[in-house]
Amino acid sequence: MVSVEITKRYPGFTLAVRWSAEKSVVGLFGPSGAGKTLTLQCLAGLIRPDAGRIAVGDRVFFDAAAGVDLPPQARRLGYVFQGLALFPHLTVAKNVAFGLADRPSRERARRTAEVIERLGLAGLEHRYPRELSGGQRQRVALGRALAIDPALLLLDEPLSALDAPLRLALRDELREILTGWGTAAVVVTHDFTEAYRLADRIVVYEGGRVIQSAPRAELLWQPASEAVARIMGLRNILRGTVVKAMPDRIQIGWRGQTLEAVNSPTRSYLPPPGSPIAFFIRPEYVRLIRKDRGAPDPLHHMNLMRGRLVGEADFGTVWSLRLRLEEPGEPAQGDWDLEVEVPQLVYQILEIERDRRWDLSVHRGSIHVLPS
Amino acid sequence: MDLFPVWLSLRVSLTATALTLVVGVPLAWLLARRRFPGRNLLEAAVVLPLVLPPTVLGYYLLLAVGRRGPVGQALASVGLELAFTWGAAVLAACVGSIALVIKSAQAGFETVDRQLEQAARTLGRSEWSVFWRVTLPLAWRSVLAGTVLAFCRALGEFGITLMVAGNIPGRTQTLPLAIYDRVQAAQMDEANALALVAVGIVGVLLFVLGRLARLRY
Repeated sequence: MVSVEITKRYPGFTLAVRWSAEKSVVGLFGPSGAGKTLTLQCLAGLIRPDAGRIAVGDRVFFDAAAGVDLPPQARRLGYVFQGLALFPHLTVAKNVAFGLADRPSRERARRTAEVIERLGLAGLEHRYPRELSGGQRQRVALGRALAIDPALLLLDEPLSALDAPLRLALRDELREILTGWGTAAVVVTHDFTEAYRLADRIVVYEGGRVIQSAPRAELLWQPASEAVARIMGLRNILRGTVVKAMPDRIQIGWRGQTLEAVNSPTRSYLPPPGSPIAFFIRPEYVRLIRKDRGAPDPLHHMNLMRGRLVGEADFGTVWSLRLRLEEPGEPAQGDWDLEVEVPQLVYQILEIERDRRWDLSVHRGSIHVLPS
Repeated sequence: MDLFPVWLSLRVSLTATALTLVVGVPLAWLLARRRFPGRNLLEAAVVLPLVLPPTVLGYYLLLAVGRRGPVGQALASVGLELAFTWGAAVLAACVGSIALVIKSAQAGFETVDRQLEQAARTLGRSEWSVFWRVTLPLAWRSVLAGTVLAFCRALGEFGITLMVAGNIPGRTQTLPLAIYDRVQAAQMDEANALALVAVGIVGVLLFVLGRLARLRY
């Protein structure tokens, strides 16, 4: 159990966040400069918040009102820094053993050997950090933090120093290590996929505040606001007008269409008719309707629209298409209304290259309302 | 040839270097790592000995440690005398050279990534341990370079020494003073020999330093 409720003021930036999580992996996700690393530093006791309270498990690390402020030495958190911060003058074994200074030497040697073995660093004990590959360095930093049996592992952009192929491999490896060691952790990242892959709960940061804290699946399917959706990098974030809102359905007027979307009964978001509403449609959930199977049928195809292809981009295995609806008025996204993503295979079968006019449909479950 | 000035100079310089290390390294660490009131003043005071004319420095030191000076009087009350003793030569050498230790060590400490020190703290290490296990091992080359420079500077110290320790043959006449003396007395052979000894000592030191600096950590 981690609970953080802190404020820290700087000229031009204020961190004021509050979140808590059960024993699991928490992802702090958001753009750079949102205060994620600062939160980590406050957790570790490297920076002192102006006010608030920090508790991990049943231990209170910081409580401004009660005058509690444990030094980093007493918090026993395993901090893996963004730049790893391996000691360049010490070997792998000595780096890993660095936090075990207070243990008897036999126990220290045993623990060091165990950690080195479990992280697959055997044989590298006497190497210096500069003699290791990026992935090995990453594991040494992890091992050094895990060796002290931390109450909580803090990972600051753990994969950002690695190049793309290694990053993907290590992301899965890191997930396995976190599960395998059973250590609760806080992971800072600005990459949504990374946050989703590593964390059970994701806390979304923006401008020094928390704008959503939810289990990862909930965040993925129900971003709490347009701001969250933008930070997640979602595409086709659109703005319409409420026609009618019911607990399970919501009708949205947009670009001359009346779109029907699923409303979340648990959220009971019921804006009055005529009010502005934001929503998003994932590009891979827009269906292009085949022309060789007869005319589109409104009963079968929900939210039927007609559009013209105004742009396309080849991403290798998928194509990104930009469609403009055949409606008067300004398109929703500059030149186009909807971005649609189709696999390469579909692009070829439908002969999209030659055909520029398309009927499309979106299932009501694929239109996600963003409460304001 | 009288080798007393050589031995005296070595003794004075070694003592002075040891003292400047003990005082200078903690000051350098403070300047590199801590913000405190009067920090800018301290930083300015540190370089003062480098920019003030040595005789001016020596003059003020003499005022302080002389029989009528505040330090001199305090020492006299416990039966000690500093002015015109070899101790005064040590003091002169310290004042003349401590800035080199401080500036060099400070620069060294400043290049040590603070995140490494932070990491050591999260791993349970005390401030004392952080300094000895992380900061110093990563900055030792700068500290050593400053120490060697300070030693050489102490060995060559002339103006301040002359003012506070005098130029008493067999008591406070250090190597540079002795060379000056021999030249004044037109004993060029002896001056030559002493000068060569000085060049030799510094040469050996710089050679050793060069070898050490090539070591990694």
